Amino acid sequence: MLEHRILEQLFRQNYSKMIHLAGVLLGDDEEAEDVVQDIFLRVADSDIPPRDDRYLMTAVRNACLNRIRQMQLHDRVKGLMSIDDEMDLQPVDKRLERLDDIAAYVDEQLGEPHCSIFHLRFDEDLTMAEIARRLGLNPNTAYKYLIQGIQRVRNHFKNVTI
Amino acid sequence: MQPTNENIRQLMEMLDNPDAYTEQEIRDIINSDEETRATYRMMVEAKRSSRHRHAERHTDVDAAWQRFCEGPLAAAHPEAQHNSQHSINKFQFRKIAASFIGVLLVSGIAFAAIHIVRQYQQAEAMQAANTTVVNTSSFAQRSPLSGDTVTVKPVIYDNIPLEKMLPEIAAHYDVKVTFANDEARQLRFRFVWNPQQDIDQVVSDLNQFKHLTVTLKDNKITVK
Repeated sequence: MLEHRILEQLFRQNYSKMIHLAGVLLGDDEEAEDVVQDIFLRVADSDIPPRDDRYLMTAVRNACLNRIRQMQLHDRVKGLMSIDDEMDLQPVDKRLERLDDIAAYVDEQLGEPHCSIFHLRFDEDLTMAEIARRLGLNPNTAYKYLIQGIQRVRNHFKNVTI
Repeated sequence: MQPTNENIRQLMEMLDNPDAYTEQEIRDIINSDEETRATYRMMVEAKRSSRHRHAERHTDVDAAWQRFCEGPLAAAHPEAQHNSQHSINKFQFRKIAASFIGVLLVSGIAFAAIHIVRQYQQAEAMQAANTTVVNTSSFAQRSPLSGDTVTVKPVIYDNIPLEKMLPEIAAHYDVKVTFANDEARQLRFRFVWNPQQDIDQVVSDLNQFKHLTVTLKDNKITVK
């Protein structure tokens, strides 16, 4: 078993960013903590500490993708999670940067009402009927704006692997 | 085959109420054409972006460590439980001790300042070889890093920009500093640095601060 002092140091140094990544991928705080604890248990069981923090972040990503694969399809689409195996070879920090870039693009470039509809759909998880009611729009118009918004974000980031 | 826009519209409707569809129907809708599949992937990414942005940035690492020690670690390694408790108590004790040291240092600095002024008034020509210069505009107490005979004391950085503080600490350990995040340069906080600690511990302590991620690799400290 890894020396307790080293384990604690690794935990304190890396836990925050690991739990953040797990939360982003899984959307569930308890599941996220479970994943990160599992990884530290594996680290505790080994005799040699991981070489660097990138190893731990990659372990979080892989463990989360495995959990998503094991979920029921209905739960995956309800949580807007990937349904096909992600060929995700990009470094984790690049992925998080990209998520920042998407948020910035939506706020700064998308314009209204696309931006508000985007937030209501992805931040508040409202259905299209609820969004249409909230904004006083015809449901068909709300659909049209959301699809336009998604397509514009897609076009802007199309050169980067999703 | 339906036009793409109709497929994407169908995707949106399905996502509003997935329970109304079978697994096969869900797969068929998402995979109805490349555009629809890519739209779903973009929506996955948009949802992650939302979680990333709204996630709680401050994590209570102490509480998380305690949960880990008392839960999974204790179950898998009962023998580690004693160490964990000891370590948690030790960490809490260190926090209290750090505050206490802070109070002592402030008193010590005040005493030293009075003492220095009195000495100066009594004999201008006399200069104590090991007198520490106090520069309050920079930081509360500079450690006598180069003094051979002086005990190394903790250095208090109070409201000093990170871009000034970190290179000084790094120089002590002969490591370089890189700021990957320019905003972090101007971060200011109160930090007590004990030069007798090893660099890993210093990096670990710095990482306890909100909005600050510091890594050490290949003799280089990177601030993200």
